[in-house]
Amino acid sequence: MTSSASKRLFKEYRGLSSDPPEGIMAGPVSEDDMFLWEAFIQGPEGTPFEGGVFPAELKFPKDYPLAPPTMRFLVDVWHPNVYANGNVCISILHPPGDDPHQYEQASERWSPIQSVEKILISVMSMLAEPNDESPANVDAARMWREKRADYEKIVKENVRKSLGL
Amino acid sequence: MDSSFDLPDSTDWISTSLPTFAPIEAALRCEVCKEFYENPVITSCSHTFCSLCIRRCISSDGKCPACKTVCSTDKLLPNYVVREVAIRFQEARPKALELARQDKEKDETIASGGKAAKKRKFDDAAIEDESPRRNTRSRTTRSSQRSNDMRDVPIEVKDSEDEGDEEFVPEGFARCPMCQRPKKVEDMWQHTASCNGEPEPAAGQSTRSRHAASNSDKHQDTHDSARRAARTQPNALQHRRKELPPPMSRLPTMNYALLNESKLKKKLQELGISASGKKELLIRRHTEWLHLWNSNCDASDDRRKTKRELLKELDTWERTQGGNASTSTATVMRKDFDSRGHASTHKSQFDDLIANARKKRTIPAENRSEEDSRPEQEVKGAQMVDRSEKTSTTDPQTGSHSNSDVAKPYEGNETALASIREKVAQTKLHGTPLPSLNHESASMSNLSTNAVHAAHEGEPGIQDPFSSPSRKLPMFSLPEEPVIDVESSTTVQ
Repeated sequence: MTSSASKRLFKEYRGLSSDPPEGIMAGPVSEDDMFLWEAFIQGPEGTPFEGGVFPAELKFPKDYPLAPPTMRFLVDVWHPNVYANGNVCISILHPPGDDPHQYEQASERWSPIQSVEKILISVMSMLAEPNDESPANVDAARMWREKRADYEKIVKENVRKSLGL
Repeated sequence: MDSSFDLPDSTDWISTSLPTFAPIEAALRCEVCKEFYENPVITSCSHTFCSLCIRRCISSDGKCPACKTVCSTDKLLPNYVVREVAIRFQEARPKALELARQDKEKDETIASGGKAAKKRKFDDAAIEDESPRRNTRSRTTRSSQRSNDMRDVPIEVKDSEDEGDEEFVPEGFARCPMCQRPKKVEDMWQHTASCNGEPEPAAGQSTRSRHAASNSDKHQDTHDSARRAARTQPNALQHRRKELPPPMSRLPTMNYALLNESKLKKKLQELGISASGKKELLIRRHTEWLHLWNSNCDASDDRRKTKRELLKELDTWERTQGGNASTSTATVMRKDFDSRGHASTHKSQFDDLIANARKKRTIPAENRSEEDSRPEQEVKGAQMVDRSEKTSTTDPQTGSHSNSDVAKPYEGNETALASIREKVAQTKLHGTPLPSLNHESASMSNLSTNAVHAAHEGEPGIQDPFSSPSRKLPMFSLPEEPVIDVESSTTVQ
């Protein structure tokens, strides 16, 4: 007995492992539970995140792909769009119709034709280009706007920490 | 796992000599479910999806998933060309993929040039082809015969004889003897329990054409007579066996706000679907039934499903997303679970349990009947329900036992099961032998220690019926007086 959700997740896993996008690795933590994934995202080049590898956890709802998954970084990520607990706040992860901030365009938000791959690519580009219009981490957003050097210093420190250096 | 996927995907083409087929196949797959289009329909904004997928999407947010324009289900129209292309592509796919793969391999062997490489590749192929077949018992004789013959025959002959995907079972998989679907060996038990024996619906050309032929034949002949018969004499077995697909009439949507729970229940009963649960669940079930039913109306005549098949799909929905969906998501142990820490923090409780078990052993077994041993276990189990739940989901070994489908003397008695799991877990942690639960004879206690050894080796020893105290009493005793057979008036011993 497999639900349409786990079938689709298996398909996505299949696609991601046979044709992985650059700098991204993702898959279910265990084959017995397709609704919990682990992902690794490489810090994009030319940004302070460069050289880092950021593990994250994706939790999928039972009615996926109608509703989006949630994503949480498992290491410290100092970023305007990442909450202190690691939760990622990005428009593609927000279900349509539920717009708490009133700034996102509907086209940017979750739709069943989106995929894990697209989420992870969006998160990668979010790392490179923060959106400070509705920051999840206000301190990080202010620092990013006003004291870019300090911001980059913290980010680089976190990168080193996450690599165990 | 990476090698044992048996799920066609557009990325299959990337490693072949026809990588350009990957986007072709991707275009023939629904963007929502990522499967080949099934009963494709086109929206008013000219996007194509599976009928079922788009119906589910529209009922969830009323918009096209691709362009976010407002859509409604009554504007959906079947997309015949896409349907035809997707079906034909699926039929052509296995052979084409096989050829493209072989072509690529040939290129590679030519490129590497060496004869040694060529030889190794063929050897590998032979081994890979043989090993999985050993799993299925019914094929043993045939496959061993064949593989013996094959040793002398050039590899090309074997390939063509093998018919590609039909016979291929990936490593770690075996074919279900009933439905012939390849299943993971570990999942086979569970699968056979629920298998309905139906062959894979989209297995290949042969199955499909057979299906279509039988369908159309019977369709013409028995369509009218069967319907008449069903109306006049509903018990006619030969007609009931072949259930006719439901006619093409779509079900209307309902305004749930206008219906109270009992009226809604009545509606569901009229439709022949389960009417259990609260109103919210009834609404969700009815919505899903509308999706299944109405998308089936978009299918071509020879592919339309019967009501029974639709009900089976609704049942799957019920178990995965509906009322019977399990609320606990993680039955899997987390990778970073600190088992040592767990053992040390709960050591005192484990010690108590050991002491309890030892105490129980000293009570002579004769004094205790089945009636009073059970409640005691339940009370004991109830004390540690909170903790045992944790163990059953997190402990690696015991957790896996709870999923296996072996004989379960304690099935349903979750607290007793949990207490047994606890005890097995302790012995594993402390390396001390499990206090014997049997008191009747030495041979019985030997059996139970065997069970412990089995548990140590990761086998499902806890379910060993001999080690359960409740089984040692005879289920019934023979009457001591001879029984008189009334009918023949002879004495039976």
